[in-house]
Amino acid sequence: MIFQNIITGIETTLGFTTVNPIINYAIAALVFGALIMVLITIFDYIFGWIERKLVARIHLRHGPTKTGKYGLLQNAADFIKLFAKENIIPARANRLLFLFSLPIVAAIFAFIVEILPYGAGIYGVDLTLGVLVAFVLISFIPILIFIAGWASGNKFSSISAQRSVLLLISYEIPLFLVIASVGILANSFDFLQIVSAQSSWWFIVLMPLGFVLFFIALIAELERPPFDLREADSELIAGWLTDVGAPLYAISLFIDYTRVFLGSLLVTILFLGGWNGPILPPYVWLGIKVLLVAIFVVVLRATTPRMRLDRILRLGWVWLVPLAIVNLLWAFVLATGII
Amino acid sequence: MGETKINIGPVHPSTHGVLRLVVTLDGDTIRKVEPHIGFLHRGVEKLVETRMYMQSPSYMEKIDYVAPLSYDELYVATIEAALGIAVKERAQYVRLIQLELQRIASHLLWLGTAINDIGQLFSVFMWCFKDRDIVLSLLEEATGGRMFYVNQRLGGLNRDMAPGFDKHAYKALDYLEKRIGEYQEYLESNPIFMERMKKIGVMSKEEAISLGVTGPTLRGSGVEFDVRENYPYYVYEKLNFNTQFENSGDCFARYRVRINEMKESIRLVREALHIIPEGDAIGMPIRLIGPQPKEKEVMVRRELPRGEGMMYMVTEGQRPYRLSIRAPSFINTAILQHLPKGHRLQDLFPILASVDTVMADVDR
Amino acid sequence: MKINSEKLRETLEKMHREGYKYLVKLTAVDYTDRIEVLYFIRNLDNSKEETVRFDLSTKNPHIPTVLDLYLAADWYERELSEMFGIKIDGRNAKRLLLEKWDGKDPPMRKSFIWSKPYEGMKDAVKWAEKYKDDKDKKDGGQNVIRIGKPLK
Repeated sequence: MIFQNIITGIETTLGFTTVNPIINYAIAALVFGALIMVLITIFDYIFGWIERKLVARIHLRHGPTKTGKYGLLQNAADFIKLFAKENIIPARANRLLFLFSLPIVAAIFAFIVEILPYGAGIYGVDLTLGVLVAFVLISFIPILIFIAGWASGNKFSSISAQRSVLLLISYEIPLFLVIASVGILANSFDFLQIVSAQSSWWFIVLMPLGFVLFFIALIAELERPPFDLREADSELIAGWLTDVGAPLYAISLFIDYTRVFLGSLLVTILFLGGWNGPILPPYVWLGIKVLLVAIFVVVLRATTPRMRLDRILRLGWVWLVPLAIVNLLWAFVLATGII
Repeated sequence: MGETKINIGPVHPSTHGVLRLVVTLDGDTIRKVEPHIGFLHRGVEKLVETRMYMQSPSYMEKIDYVAPLSYDELYVATIEAALGIAVKERAQYVRLIQLELQRIASHLLWLGTAINDIGQLFSVFMWCFKDRDIVLSLLEEATGGRMFYVNQRLGGLNRDMAPGFDKHAYKALDYLEKRIGEYQEYLESNPIFMERMKKIGVMSKEEAISLGVTGPTLRGSGVEFDVRENYPYYVYEKLNFNTQFENSGDCFARYRVRINEMKESIRLVREALHIIPEGDAIGMPIRLIGPQPKEKEVMVRRELPRGEGMMYMVTEGQRPYRLSIRAPSFINTAILQHLPKGHRLQDLFPILASVDTVMADVDR
Repeated sequence: MKINSEKLRETLEKMHREGYKYLVKLTAVDYTDRIEVLYFIRNLDNSKEETVRFDLSTKNPHIPTVLDLYLAADWYERELSEMFGIKIDGRNAKRLLLEKWDGKDPPMRKSFIWSKPYEGMKDAVKWAEKYKDDKDKKDGGQNVIRIGKPLK
């Protein structure tokens, strides 16, 4: 109800009631959007720090230690450095698309985070088809990545963008099938209903195969190792991000970390019981679970090598899709209450 | 799409040094690879002709900067053969120990960079460098230098092993053996590495012999040839050296040969430390005008970590008239024209990594 | 073994049939009145090595290619032709190590002058003679350069 609370809050402080509900709505939307961006930025900052220190410890070295007490100010320093540099646009690039495709991708990810709930009473809007809306928005991303890669005007960037698109659209299918099975188990596509359906048993216990498939497909959608073709340093330098200048690179790092935030939230809400937990308040439980999933993603990065593209596609089509169909049947069986 | 040419340029994170490959692709399949070398050519063979004998070991070390001690020793052995100087007995054991330690360090660096190229697994790279650091501190204790050790003198060494060296060496060797076992276990149970290394870059036995490759690249194709066994030098015969070779001829076989060589080197160092005799290992100090050469031309072979190195020297007074260096990486890089044909572009990097070239060795 | 330069191909073919299938190195030495080319070949079955050498005149030297017998000769012949100026009959041996160099003289010949010698060190023997009567006469008057202090 936060959105509604913001509207009533604005109305009481500013004094005018229903003179023009559209303006109230617009101001409330802006304030809510700003709050969500602050939350995302805080998570990205902390996640960036965790990633650098944890990966460094696995490599038997320290991470950043000089900036701030334990290297805590490193991300702020990087942010300032990246935005202070010049934005170089290659001569063969299409100016408008090059400049705007990455911020639009960032905006879409932030938009998806806005429709997710964070607690029993803490949410923006309560959509009955929340899960579907989230994944329809996710499926816009491959087109935008292709546009970003093509707009660089560089042969290697467009090849790499094509490879990314191939990866993303192949792994959307098992993802959607598993979501469909979650929806069948919880009997609705509403996020709040899914979480309250897990108050007795978490879905990871009822549907472990589904959890594994969802996690693998999610890592591919997030483009993290072992599926990170984009950052193949030793092959095509930096993929479709080769030509971006420093400020746009900062936005692409933002996209990277926001994707991890989004993925961890989805895994927590859909499979790990959301904010259900015994003693502590709900948002603390949510925070703990999201951080645990994020730490697991980081450890996965430091300990697995990268797969070749044709093996990744083989994994997606030959193994994940049939198993996802099996999972769907299992969800049917559970939902009818036979077991 | 027709055929496209891409340039994997001299500045690239995965070519070990400056190597330029012009690859002709048809879709994703490689049709032709042309290596262009010569970016690091310093004319060592001509440079040595203007210096006295013992003014040049420093040049020889910079030919292979990953395993400098082996080239240094090869050059000094060539001069000793030309001047007719015998190596003292304890010095033979100490030289063998240093050579095998250098081989372990070189193969560890190869392992780290190869795994980084194949799978972008930076963790193994970092761990291998930490282990290599332990070997380098052992060598620093023995010679005084970590990377470039001008330690070999005519007939022996500059300084002998310090008294506490064998205790440190035994501890370090136990640790290394455990770590190498862990790397092997981890890499061979990981299906991602296995599928990127097996059946890639297969070279049959006749092809390998005709192409003239050396070292683990040759031994990975089923040829049982190692200079330490077929033309033994120092005390390798006494220590029962066994050649490690594999039969399949793909990248996995070459990786296996190097891991087994590392284990064999650890065993050799341990045994040499057990049976090393007491005595004197100091060689002649460096003089500008030394003894006169007894032979007109001389040829010496050694097993460097990358393959078989050979030096052929024609002497004239106090300086070499002509020094011809056979660098193993030179001929190992030439097979890049033949091996990757028909593979995908992503398979070029495991092939390049498994051949283990150092560009300074190629260009001299 | 020393042969005549016309008999190169038949000698190498005979050795190839006998089992000497591995070419170790192909190099040359420039004695100023002749160029001597050496082929080091090895039989891997019984570890025997053989050196085939012959002389060429310094004016217009040329050798036939052995690329059909030994594939390793590819890069060795290219390097030999650019460093010594020896023409290879039967193939177009492009430059290998000095691709973009526009000089005319082959570098490894003795006639190639690459820098003026430093006046003070023209001949090291004369320089050593100059400092012979120094105060440090522990080694019988010869000049000794110690690099690093030996322990004994």
